[in-house]
Amino acid sequence: MTYARNQVAIAGYAQSPIVRHADRTLGAIAVDTARAAIADAGLSVGEVDGFTTGSLLPSSGGQAIVDGVSIVSAAWMAEALGVNPRFCSGFVGYGQIPGSVSLAVNAIASGAADTVVVHRALHNPPKGRYHGNPMTKAPGTAQWMAPMGYWGPLSMIAIPTMEYMQRYGATREDLAEVAVEARANGAQIPWSYWHGKPLSKDDYMAARVLSDPICMYDCDIPVDGVAAFVFTTAERAKDLQHNPVYVQGFGMGSPTRARLPQHWPLEDIVDTGAQTAARLWESSGLSVRDVDVPQLYDGFSPLVWWWLESLGYCEHGEAHRFVTDGGIRRAEGGLPALSSGGAIGNGRMHGVPQMLEVYLQLARRAGERQLASANVGLACHSSPHYGGAVLYSAHEL
Amino acid sequence: MASAPKPVPVPDERSAGYWEAASRGVLALPRCARCSHLTLPAGAWCPHCGSTDPAWTTREIDGAATVRSWTVVRDSFLPGFADDVPYVIVDVELDAEPGLRLLGRLTDGADAPLHLGDRVTVAFDRLDDEFAVPAFTLTGEAVAR
Repeated sequence: MTYARNQVAIAGYAQSPIVRHADRTLGAIAVDTARAAIADAGLSVGEVDGFTTGSLLPSSGGQAIVDGVSIVSAAWMAEALGVNPRFCSGFVGYGQIPGSVSLAVNAIASGAADTVVVHRALHNPPKGRYHGNPMTKAPGTAQWMAPMGYWGPLSMIAIPTMEYMQRYGATREDLAEVAVEARANGAQIPWSYWHGKPLSKDDYMAARVLSDPICMYDCDIPVDGVAAFVFTTAERAKDLQHNPVYVQGFGMGSPTRARLPQHWPLEDIVDTGAQTAARLWESSGLSVRDVDVPQLYDGFSPLVWWWLESLGYCEHGEAHRFVTDGGIRRAEGGLPALSSGGAIGNGRMHGVPQMLEVYLQLARRAGERQLASANVGLACHSSPHYGGAVLYSAHEL
Repeated sequence: MASAPKPVPVPDERSAGYWEAASRGVLALPRCARCSHLTLPAGAWCPHCGSTDPAWTTREIDGAATVRSWTVVRDSFLPGFADDVPYVIVDVELDAEPGLRLLGRLTDGADAPLHLGDRVTVAFDRLDDEFAVPAFTLTGEAVAR
């Protein structure tokens, strides 16, 4: 099988400030961010001929979805920039970042577009609780959740986390190690919502538990923010002002067992996560040993355990010990898996912090955080069984 | 202050039999006429045999099940549960269809000792005159974990 290795590269990026509630409309921020990314790549808006995004608003609150206000679709972005693109497509599904990156890569590799802006715009609705839903009637998929009092992603992630803890002896103290590491790194990231605000283990342990064993600090905080990346052909990227960062492969997956909506049994995460990882290595020709900038997804802290296990950093049932023993503690020489601060250390930017860190490290634009060895990076998003990951390299392989 | 009403299910063509049985205190699941396997929710095809013409019927089962996981909900995000928190949602595997999992409240309370492999039987929480929803009660037995 032929994969689009070495053919497509990131040429530039931009990211807006990450704030709880922006004082400007999400669409306006998105347009500014896309323009800045195109300029960062050394290109003009007229040279962009493709747009893609995953535009999901990941809330269970039942808010009205308004393009340009609560989401920003690829078509909205193209129109706002005054471009009539050859390629314009939205990714629908879990893992919006690897999903939309895969669309961009395949569009460029196939010749459907030469230069594609991939953006991600996340919105924190100004009123009400993010997942609070005032419904009195539960139609459709909601009928299998709300009447029983099962609602939203907190309980969804709590169920497999509880099973993991019971099965393998993991504890909230182990989970704290993930959140504390994310926040320690996020505190040093100038654009993070949590800049200058690390989290102590004591504060984690004292935090309000929302859905056992998940507490508020296991969750990323909803924010307004936009990031945009410019993808183009490797050939073109070499002539531009920044070091190209090449896409070497991606893996995605979704379980095939029939389940109730938002029911994530641990076995689905383990089984499908193994397939996702296998696809990642197959498509890239690389292995986990080649990765020197792993960026694991932490929108909920236990996802870091399951990415570690799925990717082969440790055996199943061992990730909590791996983490607690310092396996991802950057200050002690552990994997820099959360060096970006992740979602917990930045705010709910989905897989943007992971992708941005890989880009900055591999393009050697990471400033004070620059790792000496940054040749192959892995950017994960969402869960190993519903999301995906993209492998990048600093050189053609 | 009286608690707000809880969200009630809106039965559709494929779920009406499930909710009608639940209202009578009976657990009844969609059964594929082609392969006889049970599933929930019933969709346009059977996840067991792949038939796109599963001709779903509703089969009453006894509701014996095994606990596979759980969570203690301390903040429900929904109307009507403020007086109920904390409550336990159990993730159970039904004897009647190995692999098929249901989610429901544990009637034994948030402090009941609970383990993977604990055995439960179905119970029902009444929402109003029209609707009841499946819940589960510990039997005191357990399977090998």
